[in-house]
Amino acid sequence: MSDGKSTQDAAVTNSLPAELGAVAAPGAPLVERRQRPRPKISTTPPAPPPPPRLADYAPIIGQPELDDLCFLAQQLRGKTVKMVNSTAMGGGVAEMLNHLVPLMNELEVATKWEVITGGDDFFEVTKGFHNALHGGEYAITQAVKDIFLMYTEQNRQRMEFSEDVLVMHDPQPAALIRSKQPDRGRWVWRCHIDLSHPNPEVWGFLRPFVDQYDAAVFSSPAFSRQLAIPQYLFYPCIDPLSEKNKDLEESAVQKVCDDFGIDRSRPMVTQISRFDRLKDPVGVIRAYKLARKYVDCQLVLAGGGATDDPEGAAVLQEVMEEADDDPDIIILNLPPWSAIEINALQRASTLIVQKSLKEGFGLTVTEGLWKGKPVIAGAVGGIPTQVIHKLTGVLVHSVEGCAYQIRYLLTHRDYAAQLGRHGREHVKENFLMTTNVKRWLLLFQVLLGTTKPHPPEAG
Amino acid sequence: MATTEMSVVAHRQARAPFHFNSAAHLIRIGREKASNLSELLSALKVCPDESIFQHTFQTLREHHFIREGFSNDFAHWAFAACNEVGLAERLAGIDIREFMSIAALRQRLVDIVESYLQQNPRGRDRAAFEPFYFSASEVIVIPTPFVARDLAEFAEGVRHVSLTSIHFHFIDARLRLRLNSNDFSLWLEHELDLGRLAERINRIDIYTSTLDDVRRAILRFVQTALVR
Repeated sequence: MSDGKSTQDAAVTNSLPAELGAVAAPGAPLVERRQRPRPKISTTPPAPPPPPRLADYAPIIGQPELDDLCFLAQQLRGKTVKMVNSTAMGGGVAEMLNHLVPLMNELEVATKWEVITGGDDFFEVTKGFHNALHGGEYAITQAVKDIFLMYTEQNRQRMEFSEDVLVMHDPQPAALIRSKQPDRGRWVWRCHIDLSHPNPEVWGFLRPFVDQYDAAVFSSPAFSRQLAIPQYLFYPCIDPLSEKNKDLEESAVQKVCDDFGIDRSRPMVTQISRFDRLKDPVGVIRAYKLARKYVDCQLVLAGGGATDDPEGAAVLQEVMEEADDDPDIIILNLPPWSAIEINALQRASTLIVQKSLKEGFGLTVTEGLWKGKPVIAGAVGGIPTQVIHKLTGVLVHSVEGCAYQIRYLLTHRDYAAQLGRHGREHVKENFLMTTNVKRWLLLFQVLLGTTKPHPPEAG
Repeated sequence: MATTEMSVVAHRQARAPFHFNSAAHLIRIGREKASNLSELLSALKVCPDESIFQHTFQTLREHHFIREGFSNDFAHWAFAACNEVGLAERLAGIDIREFMSIAALRQRLVDIVESYLQQNPRGRDRAAFEPFYFSASEVIVIPTPFVARDLAEFAEGVRHVSLTSIHFHFIDARLRLRLNSNDFSLWLEHELDLGRLAERINRIDIYTSTLDDVRRAILRFVQTALVR
């Protein structure tokens, strides 16, 4: 790839016939079948970029928004915060903390990040809890509870809890609340997972810990539970300055498209997601095939998860079969360090699709909206919060609906552009890292009593 | 009268300065939830005032970039999740500028839903495509460095403050003032004796404009006053 990274020929691509031919669909525009170059995919991760500074966000969100952050932070000077989760690398929570914690410290709100430790048995238990809280089956035996509580005790002995605010992320460190002192420290449980239909036994075990917190934070009202403690809404967010979302030079976008054999003179419809049945990549291909009867376009399906996950590999095989050697379907099984490539693919796209059948919040939708692209997405999980039908994108419920919207948006470019503009504004207002920093500052102020909320009707 | 008013306006000092503020909002997840219109009606009657505020006044700020088709969360849900176009239209027709209290706004919402369900009883228990979750906004007022002592400084402030500040003074203000006006118009009229300008600004349509449009319109009216 670019930047001197080594590359190899396609990890996955359609095997293409060398000869020229015509796309077979009756009534479809005649498109020459040609030899597509094999994608070049990087094999080595690039060096991580330095974290952004607060001032770097000014051109994006405006100086007044930064001034607001500074004002809110000023009232928290001298206060200390600790964030605790279960992993320093990998996963959305660690990625978010990697950006959030430096910004908090730059704002002079002293914020530490600590990671709990545990053996394989602990993480097996917490993975089981995670799946069970999503509604999966799980046998929570006394042995399971003992393992969870034993490692909790070890971490309690090892760690200190002297900060003014302590934020525990997800269920793994939830029982550290046992270290809460009656007269010091405000404790927040930040739940990143969907708790709408938890396994009752596992939730029954965890809930008494959660009830001891001062507040809980969820990513969507639909993911929350009825609790006695106040619950707040923090949408997941993207960092506009991360590798996946920062502005790219046109030449960088072109380079990635060249490497992947994408013809930028023709419309490009893209779904970025793991090869997972819940993302319905096969349904996307079917929608593309229906749309192609009327409009010319290429389809890019790019994501990961097919190399280290047996189910991912099986889904990729199903996708390849459905693609049936169509040279205009480009399937890319990308390594985890492909942020720039994904960024470039999204920017090069005419339309972004996320036809999920089940979804958490759907940050790939956020990424597409942020790039000002018209987004077609399944009306599931957190997607309708982001895609307000016909205002910031379009929601679909079927292959046929998806196909229709591809046709419509490819032939009504002004409307599509307006959706893209609104989508970007929606993200700017609600789903950026800086908005999340503001939410944390507000929550800390409310919990610590450094300010009182202003009733709407108060003069 | 108008010509005299405008000719001296550029140098006129306000009797009291205008302090531009902004606001930050923390959203609390509410206890109420509606899976059909009957439940919406019940929840509208008992939810906290902050929830009515969040789903009407506050949502306009969150979706300030949309000119058409977005009025308040209740109307949007009736349309998108319940497919009740008639109800959605009536709810979307609510103009929050007409309400000087949350109680009055709540009553209007209740009246509309109640009357719709009387005429359309089959809609009462039909399951919505997705539930409506009530939330509530906790507002914290944030001062900005901008202070206006005359019309030129006022324009400078309007030009530079955040859209949240514009929303705070132009839309939220109605509830605080309990007047059919806004902070900008009130200051222009009372502290600078610019009644006509105040009135023009107060008539800017927030439902067919984005907040950026509102900012531009205010600046246009002020500029016109300054150059005369």
